[in-house]
Amino acid sequence: MTVKANTRTVKGNHSFRLNQISRRTEALFHVILGLFALACIIPFLFVIIISFSSEDSIRTIGYSFTPTAWSLSAYEQVFKMGDQLWRSYFNSFLITIVGTVLSVAMCVLYAYPLYRKDYKLRGFFSFLNFFTMIFGGGLIPTYIICRNLLGLSNNYAALIVPLLVNPFNIIVMRTFFQTSVPFDLVEAATIDGSGEYNTLLRIILPIVKPGIATIALLTSLAFWNEWFLCLLYVTDRSLYPLQYLLMEMQRNAEFLARNSSMLGAVGAEAAKTLPTQTMRMAVVVFIVLPIACAYPFFQRYVIAGLTIGSVKG
Amino acid sequence: MKKFLSLLLAAMMLLAAIPAMADSPVEITILLEGNNVTDDAAVLEQLNAYLAEKIGVTVKPVWGTWSNFNDLALNAVNSGSDEYDIMFTCSWTSNEYAPYAQKGAFVRLDDPDDNLLAEYGKELAEALPAILLEGAVTDGIDGEGIYAVPGFKDFAQMNTWDVNVTLLEKYGYTLEDVEKAGFYGWGDIFATVKAGEEAETGETFYPFIFEGAVAERNVNLTPAVAGDGNSVLSYYMNAEDAAQPGPNGNAFVSKYSTPEFEKYAKQMHEYYLAGYIDPAIAIGETATDAWRNAQNTARYLISTEVSLYGYEVTTSAQRGIQVAYIMSTDSPYIDNTSVQGAMMAISANSAHPVEAMKFLNILNTDAYVMTLMNYGIEGVHYTLNDNGEVVFNADARATYSPWTNGLGNVTILPPQEGQGADFQERFAAFYAGAKKLPIYGFTFDKSSLDTEFATIVNIKDQYALRLFTGAADVDTELPELIQKLNDAGIQKIVDEANAQLEAFLAD
Repeated sequence: MTVKANTRTVKGNHSFRLNQISRRTEALFHVILGLFALACIIPFLFVIIISFSSEDSIRTIGYSFTPTAWSLSAYEQVFKMGDQLWRSYFNSFLITIVGTVLSVAMCVLYAYPLYRKDYKLRGFFSFLNFFTMIFGGGLIPTYIICRNLLGLSNNYAALIVPLLVNPFNIIVMRTFFQTSVPFDLVEAATIDGSGEYNTLLRIILPIVKPGIATIALLTSLAFWNEWFLCLLYVTDRSLYPLQYLLMEMQRNAEFLARNSSMLGAVGAEAAKTLPTQTMRMAVVVFIVLPIACAYPFFQRYVIAGLTIGSVKG
Repeated sequence: MKKFLSLLLAAMMLLAAIPAMADSPVEITILLEGNNVTDDAAVLEQLNAYLAEKIGVTVKPVWGTWSNFNDLALNAVNSGSDEYDIMFTCSWTSNEYAPYAQKGAFVRLDDPDDNLLAEYGKELAEALPAILLEGAVTDGIDGEGIYAVPGFKDFAQMNTWDVNVTLLEKYGYTLEDVEKAGFYGWGDIFATVKAGEEAETGETFYPFIFEGAVAERNVNLTPAVAGDGNSVLSYYMNAEDAAQPGPNGNAFVSKYSTPEFEKYAKQMHEYYLAGYIDPAIAIGETATDAWRNAQNTARYLISTEVSLYGYEVTTSAQRGIQVAYIMSTDSPYIDNTSVQGAMMAISANSAHPVEAMKFLNILNTDAYVMTLMNYGIEGVHYTLNDNGEVVFNADARATYSPWTNGLGNVTILPPQEGQGADFQERFAAFYAGAKKLPIYGFTFDKSSLDTEFATIVNIKDQYALRLFTGAADVDTELPELIQKLNDAGIQKIVDEANAQLEAFLAD
């Protein structure tokens, strides 16, 4: 009902547009936003087209929106990859879901005390969090600690644990608490006899849902797109996420191209066992689809988050 | 009842544990390069059963791929991990053999105090040509010695022109014409073939499509210099006898400042302007795809290949034309990059160096082990035809294709289909006739000049490919490049390299 009321224009006076910009400016904005949207969509469309192009077409005219011949061979090859592909798909989902749930939980549980004005050590813990954003241990020490001390090697934990705490997300979440949850609310809840857990889970959390959704979206994207951890800590192919599988295909091809003057015929023979270009594009399609489907789901909350808590016009 | 059962269970476990403790095989982990292996369970079961019985060892390969091998090796070496007992190593990618040996990542195999090679690798040392072991000697942490077992493969360089004989003969030329005319005299042949093909198909045809760096190597006889992976230095080979000092003596020169290079670049530019060369090969991103595509679709007349003995059989079948390789030198020549092209080192952190050496010994000398590891199981991954040649089962091979040359002694493998039963003898004989370059064994150590070297490489990267492929206007761009290189101090690098080479030759 409210939606309808908002879109009603002033009757009988079409030239007068209440609270709106002029048609010309609006058209200009539409064009700009339209171009922006195209710039986002076209690369993906291109990938889809290439994945359906025939190898011959790529060999003769290169990547093109209008290939000389279409072919499903890339997808046939992908399905022939068999277990590895589905295994990696499963791994990607598992890592993303488990990782996102754990990461968001930790983020909220860290950010909440930092928001509580009555928490004495919040300055210290804020600093501790902030400090890691500026100073890191560097790659090799991190690697040694993760691998030798924490035993993060060739297991799912290696793909999840190093990404669990994101200091930036904690700061965003804390700020979200501060701007959208009045501290009076906490006090009121305490007066009404609500315990700490009850206050957080049943009073605060429902209010900060948009914030959580934003963090969850960012985190799940990070987990879904992650391949570097796999490169560092995992050699067991049954643990590869899809993103790393693709990365590996791509880098194999690049490596052979770069070293062709050294490898020569050996490299040429090796290159023939690698996935074709169209096949790599088909894998890209496989990677993008699920996360593209997740967007609309999160979008609702993200938009709500943008409009909540500030002064409305 | 329950009590009885649990007692029984405990007794059984004890019984099972006793013989296992007595002689349980040692597991050796091997990090390998360049593989495409997704299912090794069946192969390992057979292999480990055999190895456990023979030498009391089982293996667990980590099938590194072209892309992740360097990272895996670097991580293991830097973190001092004891994860791998045996590691692949070589001299031509970033995972260089010599630096790692210097760093102490590998066990010295011929250490006088603890000579693993003599003690556990006798058969191996006998199976390999002396020149290979000699080439594996490097100045590592425990003195000058062998830090890795070199693979017996195509250990000599065979830089060639790849000629599409089918197309050549269509226009009445023969292979001898191409050979006799030489690089500087191919203009007429290119013109005829280009005109003929274009008239026939109506499309642009580029007869000359190749890999820039290899073409320069072919024409000027400048082998790759170990340690100078980015081709800044040139060593000019002796055209008559590769084992003798070159025209400049045994010395390096700056690659781009020689009259020979200028002559080469000018000729290339002439071909380029005449439209014989595909512009795509002058652009770094598209170059490799362009010339490989041209080769695979047989849309070329002359190309380049760093070839192998007998490779024309494979490529002729694949491309559906007759391919011939014209070698740029009379015989294959031996340099470091080819001898140290694929080696296996024992990690200094390994808890089982002796067992690792025993495994390397059996891998390189026992045809059963090598064939099983390389080609898989007979009847599953491949079958033998009447000539005793290997015919692969494509589906099974797709899940198990290790990099053949990365595993060691390939001369004990059965021949592949089409190679002929005596292929390995011919292969070994061919490479036995290889000539040793006078600079063989020398590796340029640029560590003292890292910054200068990086600057120089950045400068030459802007020009090199364009000059190699004829896209650059030699009269303006070459002097510009030389000037910039001089300003950046290339002479310092050349002097340093020559000083090192002198010291090396004096030894």
